[in-house]
Amino acid sequence: MSKIKILHMYADMLDLYGDSGNMEILKYRCKKRNIECIIEKYSAGDNMPYFPEYDMIYIGGGADLEQQHISADLIKCRDGIRKAYKNGTFLFLICGGYQLMGKYYRDADGNEIKGLGLFDYFTIAPSSRKKRCIGNIVIRTEITGKPVKVVGFENHGGQTQGVKNPFGSVLYGNGNCSKSSAEGYFEKNVIATYLHGPMLAKNPEISDYMISYCINRKSDNLIKLAKLDDKLEKDCRKVMIERLLNK
Amino acid sequence: MKRLLILTGKIIVKILNLLGRNAGNLPGIILWHLSGQKCCSIFKVECPIIAVTGTNGKTSVTNCIAQLFEKSGKKIIINREGNNLDTGICSLLLRHCDMSGRVKADYLILETDESHIPVVYSQMKLETLVVLNFFRDQLDRNGEMETLINKVNSFCKTFDGNLILNGDDPNTARLGRANPKNKNVRYFHAEPYKFATDKIFEASEGHFCPFCSEPLEYEYYQYSHIGKFICRNCGFGNYEPYVTASKIDLEKPVFTADGHKYSPKLNSIYNVYNMTAVASVSKLYKIKQGITNGVISTYTVNNGRMENFMLGDRKATLNLAKNPVGANMTLRVMNEMNGEKELLFVLNDNIADGLDVSWIWDINFSIFERVTRVVTSGTRAYDIAVRIKCSGYDPAKITVCPDLDDAVAELARTEGRKFVIANYTAVQPTRQALKRYSENGGKNNE
Repeated sequence: MSKIKILHMYADMLDLYGDSGNMEILKYRCKKRNIECIIEKYSAGDNMPYFPEYDMIYIGGGADLEQQHISADLIKCRDGIRKAYKNGTFLFLICGGYQLMGKYYRDADGNEIKGLGLFDYFTIAPSSRKKRCIGNIVIRTEITGKPVKVVGFENHGGQTQGVKNPFGSVLYGNGNCSKSSAEGYFEKNVIATYLHGPMLAKNPEISDYMISYCINRKSDNLIKLAKLDDKLEKDCRKVMIERLLNK
Repeated sequence: MKRLLILTGKIIVKILNLLGRNAGNLPGIILWHLSGQKCCSIFKVECPIIAVTGTNGKTSVTNCIAQLFEKSGKKIIINREGNNLDTGICSLLLRHCDMSGRVKADYLILETDESHIPVVYSQMKLETLVVLNFFRDQLDRNGEMETLINKVNSFCKTFDGNLILNGDDPNTARLGRANPKNKNVRYFHAEPYKFATDKIFEASEGHFCPFCSEPLEYEYYQYSHIGKFICRNCGFGNYEPYVTASKIDLEKPVFTADGHKYSPKLNSIYNVYNMTAVASVSKLYKIKQGITNGVISTYTVNNGRMENFMLGDRKATLNLAKNPVGANMTLRVMNEMNGEKELLFVLNDNIADGLDVSWIWDINFSIFERVTRVVTSGTRAYDIAVRIKCSGYDPAKITVCPDLDDAVAELARTEGRKFVIANYTAVQPTRQALKRYSENGGKNNE
């Protein structure tokens, strides 16, 4: 039986817009395939975990105040997370988690929160809190080797710049910056994105990309994932894609 | 200038009435533009104003407070239709003022949107502000919750009137420190009920002391983040309650507040909190105990808040849930009831709902007990179906019917007890569909 071990960081604080649902979905899709999915939680101040032992590290989004609370703790985890990432651990990062892996996040009042600097991008929030990128979003990505539309919901003030390799191109919505053409950041073991919804709810192909990566990263023979009945998810996608793109 | 604005406003109300249109908001919107965005400043209000705000329960508490005064023989003005923004309040006052803008009443009782507290009450003097709670609700419309609390907090910094706060909600109780000079801050509180827990049960806000950032410690949680909390570092949460609800038994249902026993019609813990807020206002304004008893014991709602319908011989209970807290409460009520039941969940994503439906992932469906079937409907019928499926519920037992009449017919097809959850803009259409079905005896689609 295959096994996946996930570290869900700051679940008690960075859990805005149903982001914990992503963990519920991964667990569900693993269970259906008889893959053991262990999700451990890490909160600020807990004993420092050994990060490279995890197949995935997941960080969700939070309000400004909560992001400030965890930032000092996150810096303490920098070396561990970097080591895990270099070792091939998958980094799945939503919104605040995405921003904090870059160089820095400057909030609406001009306060700078230092990021982990794993990647070159940086994020600046406009001084007016009213200027947020809010709404449904559809992007197109080719991370699975063929074009896939990803449907979600974005809600962020921060404008992320300096992204070298985006997660996808924007078909509807804003993306990394207001009215931009690119969304998120991608490497073979990194998906960093502004998509909530939660992101995986309507995008089973992305869930399966990550599950497949995790169970295959240490194995020599490619383990193929069993197909699941995704009828409800497909119908759900269809309704939103038709509504947003076929106007 | 003010007289001219009043005259203009009144003419608009007249025209709308002649056209048979609802004048609930539009006159206020027009005056908002004409008055340089200060549409509530044109009135002369000489009576005390009592405002009620918070994420959940505003309408219920506002109506109950109004009844306290009405039954005491006072003339009151209230925004019953829930037009609770500055423009809605302006439209209301236009209908009740004379040509000089003078508003004649003994009390103005106004449900007020959280984000509009500073807007409205910088223009009209407020005597009493009741704050019920702050939950995640329609976040994409209001910005993050912290921004919302800060708005009300900034108003409280210079407010020296009566402040009645839910002392068991750290997001609300913190407003009590906004103006240290204000001696008129009062807190209401409730002792634990049967289903209170020592661990948090549902996703929530407010984990840290807003003053010193230390984690808050809880003696118990009633629901979501509502419960008896304290900051061990700075003492936040340590206050003398003005009114305490105790001996809460929701099976009867009964509870005691400030030594008086009440038998409310509604059996939820959040109704107990709402009614404790009402009892606090009653105490503050020295309302006769007989009147308070009458209001709290008879208050019930027919607007989709635990409202019952008969679908043939099958009983269906509809409850509005505009956020996870409301939905989780309904699931708890379902679970606390014996026997098998079926659920219809109607989910819309119109502007007034907040376009983002991700809050459904904060609903704890894994607690489902003896739920034999689920029907989903609304503009996001598939989203809620996927969400329930991923909680581990058998997808073969889920039927998606985006059309509401189809959904109600599907729900009524089988025997047994029914529950219906609908979000904000879904609740009225759902009521209509349930009514149509019960009146036509199931012949909706024939």
